[in-house]
Amino acid sequence: MSRDGIFFVGFLVAFAAVNAFLLSTGALAASWIGFGTILAAGLTLALYSFLYKDNPVFKAAEHLYVGVVAAYELSLVWYQNILVDVFNPLFRPPEGAGPKWLVLVPAFLGLFLMTRIFGRWIWLSRISFAFFVGLGAGLAIPRRIASFVLQQIEPSIRPLSIDIASLGWGVLNPPIILLGVVSVLVYFYFSVEHTGVVGGISKVGIYFLMVSFGASFGYTVMARISLLIGRVNFLLEDWLNLSPPIF
Amino acid sequence: MERLLNIDRRIVYLAIFLGVCLPYLFSFVELPVTITADVRRIYDKIDSLEEGATVMVSFDYGPSSKPELQPMALAILRHCFSKNVKVVGVTLVTEGVGLANSAMETAAAEFDREYGRDYSFLGFKAGGAILVLNLGQDLQGTFKADLKGTSTSEMEVTRNIHSLKDFDYVIDLAAGFPGIEEWIAYGQERYRFTFGAGCTAVMAPDFYPFLQSGQLNGLIGGLAGAAEYETLIGRKAKAMGGMQAQSVAHLIIIAFILLGNAVYFLTRSPRKTSP
Repeated sequence: MSRDGIFFVGFLVAFAAVNAFLLSTGALAASWIGFGTILAAGLTLALYSFLYKDNPVFKAAEHLYVGVVAAYELSLVWYQNILVDVFNPLFRPPEGAGPKWLVLVPAFLGLFLMTRIFGRWIWLSRISFAFFVGLGAGLAIPRRIASFVLQQIEPSIRPLSIDIASLGWGVLNPPIILLGVVSVLVYFYFSVEHTGVVGGISKVGIYFLMVSFGASFGYTVMARISLLIGRVNFLLEDWLNLSPPIF
Repeated sequence: MERLLNIDRRIVYLAIFLGVCLPYLFSFVELPVTITADVRRIYDKIDSLEEGATVMVSFDYGPSSKPELQPMALAILRHCFSKNVKVVGVTLVTEGVGLANSAMETAAAEFDREYGRDYSFLGFKAGGAILVLNLGQDLQGTFKADLKGTSTSEMEVTRNIHSLKDFDYVIDLAAGFPGIEEWIAYGQERYRFTFGAGCTAVMAPDFYPFLQSGQLNGLIGGLAGAAEYETLIGRKAKAMGGMQAQSVAHLIIIAFILLGNAVYFLTRSPRKTSP
C-alpha cells in the first residue's frame, strides 16, 4: 500500500475511533443531531484534506456539496417562488378571485430559457434573453451611474471646501484622496507617454495602487483565517465537545 | 538557506492551523478591541431608535461566510431586541434562509420576543437587485406572506410597512452578489433610507468610498468588526472568542513574510554591474 493509502486508512480508523468514543461517553448524542455533527466534522476534514494533496475523499465531499446545494436551492425556489408566485395564482387563486393570467407572461419567459437544451426550439430562449438584456440595461445603467459614479465624484471634491480648522488631523484626508484619484487616473491614461511630469504622477498612482492591493490582501488574509477559526471552533466545541481553554 | 526559500507549503498550513488552535488549548491574555468610528455609527443609530421602531436586516450570506457574518447578525439582533426595536428579516440568497432563521430565533428567545409582533422573517425570493426595487415599491405585494405563510398585511410587525422608506433603519449583511452594491444602487439611492452594512473582510475595502459619500452610514467589516460590535453591546460571544486565534494566526503570517524576505535578501546574488 502506498504512503497516501496508509494515511487514508489511518485517518478513517482514527475518525471512527474518535466518534465511537464520543458516542459511548455521551459527548455526542446518539440521535440525528449527533449523526449530523459527525457528518459535518467528517466533511470538514475531508475538504481540508486538499491542503495535503488532491484525493478521492476531497473529490467526494466536493461533489456531495454541489449536489446538496443544487437540491436545496431548487426546493427553496419551488416553495418560495414558483409555488407562491406562479402555481397558486394560476391554479389556486384566493376565494372570489379568478386566475391571474398575467403570470403566464413571466412564466413562459422562464420556460423559454429551458428550450436551450432542445436544439429545435432554441430560438425561443432568445426572446427571454432579449427581455433580460433590455430590462437589465435599462435598470442598471442609470442606477449604477448615479450611485457609483456621480455620487462618488461629489465627495472626492467637496471636502476641500470644508472649514479646515474644525477638522484636526482629518484635514489631511481630502487632499490624499484627491491625489490618489488623480494620480491613479493618470496612471491608467495611456494616450500620453508616461515620462516627465506625467510619469512622476503615474508613479505616485502606482504607490496608491500598491497600498490598495496591500490593504485588500490584508483583509483577505483576515477573512480566510476567520473561516478557519469557524471550522476549528466547530471541530473542538461542537464535535469533540471540548470547552476552551482546555489547559 | 535555500531550503528555507522552498519551504513546503504544508508546513505553513500546519503552523497556521496550530496557531489558530492555540487559544482554544491554552488561556491567553485578552487582547483589547478598539472600536472604529464606522462600527460605532451603526451601534449609535440603533441605540438612538425609539422603542417600537422597525429595522430591516437583509441576511445575504451563506454557510461559507457564517464564521464572519453570523456573529455580526446575532450581535445586531441582540442590540435591537434589547432596545425593544422590531426586526424584519429578508434574504436575497437561497443559502441565507436557514442561517437568518436560526439567528433571529436564537436572539428573540434570549429576549423573550414574540414572532409576528416583535420580529418576522420574510424569507427568500429570486431577483436580487429587482427584489430590492420591488421591496421599495410594494413590500407587502412582493412578500404577501412570510416564511411561515403568515400574511404580511396582517402581521403586527409588517402591517404598517409598505415600502423600504417605512423602515427606521436598513442593514445588509452580505458576502458577495447580490449584496451591498444592489442595496445601495436600487434601494438606498432610490428610496433614501438610512443604510448600514456588514460584510466579509475580503469585501470591506471596496465599500469605504460609500461611507465617505454618505450612502452607507456605517460599516462592520469581518470578524474584527463583529468583535467590535459585541464589545459595544457588552456581550462577548463567538467573534470575541475568535479574535485571539485571529491575532495568533496574523503573527505567524507576519513571521513567515519577514522570514521569506530576510532569506530572499540574504541569498540573492549580488547585482551585476555593467562594464
